[in-house]
Parts: sequence; structure tokens; C-alpha cells
Amino acid sequence: MFDNNVFIEGSCRNVEQSGELIGYELGTYITYYRGIPLSMVNDIGVKEDGESVPREAIRCSVDQGEYWFTLDEMETVSSYAHKWEYGEPMTVRVLKKGGLSKGTHQIVLTVNVRTAYIPVPLEGSKERTVEI
Amino acid sequence: MSKIKTCVSLYSLQNEYMTKRMSLEDIFRFMRDNEVDGVEFLPDQMMHGAPKPSEETLQEWDRLCREYGIQPVVADVFLNTNLYKNRTLTRKECVELLVDEIMLAHRLGMKMIRLVSMTPADVLEPLLPYCEKYDMKMALEIHAGLSFDKQKTKEYIAEMKRLNSPYIGIVIDTSIFCERVPRVMENYCRSLGTSQKPIDIVNRMFAEGKDGRDVYGPDGDFIPELKESLSSGADEMYAHFADGYEHEPFEIMDDLMPYIFHIHFKLYEMTKEGEYSIDYKGLLSYLHDRHYDGYVATEYEGTRWTIAGEPMKEKEDVVAHQRYIHKCLKEIEG
Repeated sequence: MFDNNVFIEGSCRNVEQSGELIGYELGTYITYYRGIPLSMVNDIGVKEDGESVPREAIRCSVDQGEYWFTLDEMETVSSYAHKWEYGEPMTVRVLKKGGLSKGTHQIVLTVNVRTAYIPVPLEGSKERTVEI
Repeated sequence: MSKIKTCVSLYSLQNEYMTKRMSLEDIFRFMRDNEVDGVEFLPDQMMHGAPKPSEETLQEWDRLCREYGIQPVVADVFLNTNLYKNRTLTRKECVELLVDEIMLAHRLGMKMIRLVSMTPADVLEPLLPYCEKYDMKMALEIHAGLSFDKQKTKEYIAEMKRLNSPYIGIVIDTSIFCERVPRVMENYCRSLGTSQKPIDIVNRMFAEGKDGRDVYGPDGDFIPELKESLSSGADEMYAHFADGYEHEPFEIMDDLMPYIFHIHFKLYEMTKEGEYSIDYKGLLSYLHDRHYDGYVATEYEGTRWTIAGEPMKEKEDVVAHQRYIHKCLKEIEG
């Protein structure tokens, strides 16, 4: 239903900090048709070549990296100051020393959010082949 | 003489906006070029920082309305009762959030807010002084899947009647008038692997006068015939989506006409004969005969059912739907 919103094409890349690859990140739109505070994001999941990435390794930002939150922290981020706006990508960063190795990888991103009125959360998922 | 007016909900162009193929200004220009009189707007969708956008954002809104001659008609308001994972917002918190929404809609030049389905009824009375102060009507959306048979909707309607205020009413969403399941939804599910069997079962149910709600038995589970036909996750997905389409007679609105402030004209797919699932000519005749005085808003939802990689038809379908509504109105009103 909202799968088309997930995992923006060409957005996956390794992240370098102080000369070292600290992980990789990718961009996604919200699996909904409006913006919501981050506390309404139920879950973000990443699968890398068939393996689920540990929840603790995921960081999210809705302002191109000015503020980062873990998934546990996001549960309390109810201020509209950190709203995930519709039409603005969330950056999902996976902390992993050395990042993704050179070559081809299968990456699956899943986004799950609570809505105001639909009893079940809205989830979207997209798998992409990523070339590093 | 009816006073049916037309507008377009910008919900219809959400994918154009999300992917930045169209900015809000492009959308306003598109509306003007296609002679659309008014717009329905979701602040949470196309206005950053809502319900408290920056002064700069508000001034830009004013400029767009002025420059393109567009009348803002209604703001679609949501209530994040599940803002937190571990508890539901209190009544006091809900009222506080909705006061912000009323003030924003007023600032945007609107006279009505659409309350999302499942909004608790107990917020109405404490909000009334704000509605009076800002001359703001509020109306709960009656949408398929969350319509008249749901407890929260019943509570709202009872409270609406008890308070009997010119500021409290309902929005009818025509997803409750589907004669058949949208073909675009079926095709979308097929593209993800849904088999023909459950689709045939649901279509037969509609042909027999039942609707999407009848996919469930009294125990809340799928009815046995449908359940047996489900052999994959894609089949299950289709069966769940099918419950979002209801087929009520127009007469269900008879007693509620004084409370109907606004109507969403849902659009799944335009065909040469009109909308695929909903008889709009019949509905407009019904509304005309009962002197409906308000807007009908095109709300395109085919976006949801566009197969990955295929082009979105939101712009062309919206224009075709508006033309079709105008044609019907001309025939009906003479």
C-alpha cells in the first residue's frame, strides 16, 4: 500500500567520519500520507543480505543529520519540533564498522508507523540491490 | 435549487508532492488552470510545522491563495490519540491539540475542519466555544471501514445530536457507496501475487448485495469460504483491503442531511462512463433533490493502487473527475 514510499532509489551509501567508514545510510519517505511526530514511528527494520540488522545499530534523523535518535529514544520524541514531514526523507543510518563492503548487496528496509485512526499500523517494505 | 459546489482535496496529488514533481505552488497553478474553485487541504501533509507553521510559511500560503484565486474550503484534521506507544491521550490533551488545529484552519482562511474518523465524542462540547470564537465548523468523517456501525461513530453522532449546534456535523466519504471493489486495487494485489479465487469470492459478494464488511464473520475472522481460498500472504492482504469498501444505499443519509457539511467524492479510477466503483450521477441527483448546500470534493486514491514502476495518473484522473461532476451537475440542474 505504501511500499512505493519506502527506500528512495539511489539513496544507499557508506558513511565516512574522521577518515573511517562507520556504517551506511539510506533514505525513505513515510509509509503514510501525512507528517507525524517521531514517537508515532513504531519500528524501522533493515535487512542486509538476508540478515536482520540489530535494532541497537539503527539511528534515525529527519533533518539531514542535525539530530539523531535511536529507535528506543524515538518513542519519547513527541514534540512537533522533530516531526517527520510528509515529502521529506528520513535518513536511516546503520552503524557498522567498515560500512558495506565493495560489491553488490541486497538491502531491505521496512518502515512501520502508527496512524491516528486505522487500528493496525501502516507498514511498507522495499528491497533494493545496492552497488557499493 | 441545490447549491452543490465543487472542490478538490489536495490529498489527490500527494504523490506529485511527495516526490517533489510538484510544489504547493505548482499544485495551486494546476488547480487554477483547470478551473477548480476551492481546495481541501491537509496541513499535516503539505504544510511544514503544522499545526504551528512559521510566519513565513503562512505568508506563502496567503500569497498562493491570492495569486491563484483559490478558495481554501476545509482543513483535514487528525488527532494523534496514539502519540505515545504506552497510553492514549487524555481528553484534555486531545482538546488542546484540536484547539491548535482550529486556530490554524482559521488562519488559513477556512470555515471548517474535518475531524478524522474515530475522534472521541467527548471533545466536542469543550471545543464549541472555540468553534464559535473562530466561526469554525467541525465534522467527523464517515469512511468505509470506520462508518456508521462502529461504536466511536455512533457515540459521535449521538453527541452531535445532543449538542445540536450549527458547528457540529459530519463529512460523508463516498467509499461507503461502492457498488464494486475498485479494479485498480485488485490489479495492484495481483501484481503482488494475489490469486483470482479470493477476488472472485469478494466480487460475488458485492454482486449479491453484500459488501466489504461481510468478509468477516461474527467471530471477527474471515468467513469460511474466503478463508479457505487464501493460500498466500498476498491473498490475505487482498482480503484485508477488501473490507475498506462498503455499499450503503444513498438513503442512509436521509435523516442526517442537516448534519452533512461536506462530502468526499472518492476517486479510484476514471473510466469513459464515470468512476469505476461509485455512481456519481445518481449521488448528485440524490443530493440535488435534497437541497444539499455544500461542497463535494474530489479525493483521488488511485495513488495507493499504482503498480510499482507504472506512472501515476493522479492529475489526469482528477481533471477528468471534475469535468464529469460538472457535466452531471449541468444535466441534473438544467
